[in-house]
Amino acid sequence: MDRRGRTLVTAAAVGALVAPVALDADGFPLSTYPMYSQVRTTEVGFATAHAIDDAARTRRLSLEVIGASDDPLIVAGELRAAIRAGRAADRCREIADRWHDERAPDDPDVIEVVTELHDVVRLATGGDSLLERTVHARCTVGAS
Amino acid sequence: MGRVAVVGATAPPERLAMFRILTGLFAIGYLAVRLPVFLALRDRDAAGFEPVGVLTPLTGPLPDGAVLGLIAATLAAGIASTLGWRFAATGPAFAAGLLVLTTYRGSWGQLLHFENLMVLYVVVAALTPAADAWSLDARRRPAPRRDPTAYGWPLGLAGLILVLTYLIAGIAKLRYGGLDWMFGDTLRNHVAYSAGRLELLGGRPSPVASGLVEHVWIFTPMAVAAVVIECSAPVALLGGRIRTAWVAAAWTMHAGIFALMLVGFPYPLFLVAFAPLYRLERLAELGPALRRTGRAARPTRSESSAASPSPPA
Repeated sequence: MDRRGRTLVTAAAVGALVAPVALDADGFPLSTYPMYSQVRTTEVGFATAHAIDDAARTRRLSLEVIGASDDPLIVAGELRAAIRAGRAADRCREIADRWHDERAPDDPDVIEVVTELHDVVRLATGGDSLLERTVHARCTVGAS
Repeated sequence: MGRVAVVGATAPPERLAMFRILTGLFAIGYLAVRLPVFLALRDRDAAGFEPVGVLTPLTGPLPDGAVLGLIAATLAAGIASTLGWRFAATGPAFAAGLLVLTTYRGSWGQLLHFENLMVLYVVVAALTPAADAWSLDARRRPAPRRDPTAYGWPLGLAGLILVLTYLIAGIAKLRYGGLDWMFGDTLRNHVAYSAGRLELLGGRPSPVASGLVEHVWIFTPMAVAAVVIECSAPVALLGGRIRTAWVAAAWTMHAGIFALMLVGFPYPLFLVAFAPLYRLERLAELGPALRRTGRAARPTRSESSAASPSPPA
């Protein structure tokens, strides 16, 4: 390729990389790289799921049970997307199926998909952090 | 310090070949390590499919057999292209497969931005004469003589892509977060958020984070440093010490992110992201040099028998 061709391809590559920024549209593999760029306060809503017993005590579930992955970015992102799209009940049943395979007989058998509002600094330091909980879906292991 | 050369950059064929090998090895390793994640895409509920990038035209998930075939074909093409076997076909096949596979994984509600550069580098390597040296193709039949810019320009382009990605990430922080991102407590809250997310999702948060988040003043210099490092990325194209200083700063930033948030950016942490900025062909000299060092350090039979009973270090 001659110099003119290389210049054109280079310019096109720069244009493609900068286009998402100009359009403010994140994508893949051309991106605005927005990760961790927004201002964040200490009060944050988390999408998560837990098991709950008859006395309303919650029990944390593993990343694998919640999202069939060991990557918290994937698990959290996909659960958030499911709640946003109104698919919390479907996701609840998937989690219940995975919990069914993993739980001991006396473990709680009700799953809730929730958004919890926490004070993240207190949460990170082990303090009392829960400010609010919204239940999006509730399902029972083995009921699907 | 040199001048910036992208379009007119020159290099020996071995430098581009090493770029092919490093980017190929990393991408194959990444696919292998994350194979369970890619295989699990077959069991996903179709309702969660939100296609992005090149897969935007898709109206639903791929059939299970197609996902399995795509994974197998991408891995096979990756191995072949990294070895430089029929690279004119296997290079583009690997790049296309990797692009589609990672795009497909990202089409279920969560993009992983550290995959972008890995894919872009493999695409660059695939479209260049990266198998003219150190390849099975070159062993079979010598490569045609080419102008040194044929090997230097792709690396210059990859370096340009690298610095632009960092620059865009820096701009995003100023654009979406403003000066508050640097001088407020946003970074501290992001660190606490990452720890909290792991806590609530059944993972184990960084012990460093819980110790630091109460000391908000520590995070202001870290936030300023992160934005300065990202926005100053173009200096890496100047080469020399300023490039190496920037690479060291960027690597340290990623190491700090990992220590505080347990969010790993493997491409820069394993230094592959910075590969196009260096004379990669020199890596091949490391093997013989290490062997020479080993021979020099190892005592000869007569020295060994005369030495004290404790083993040599």
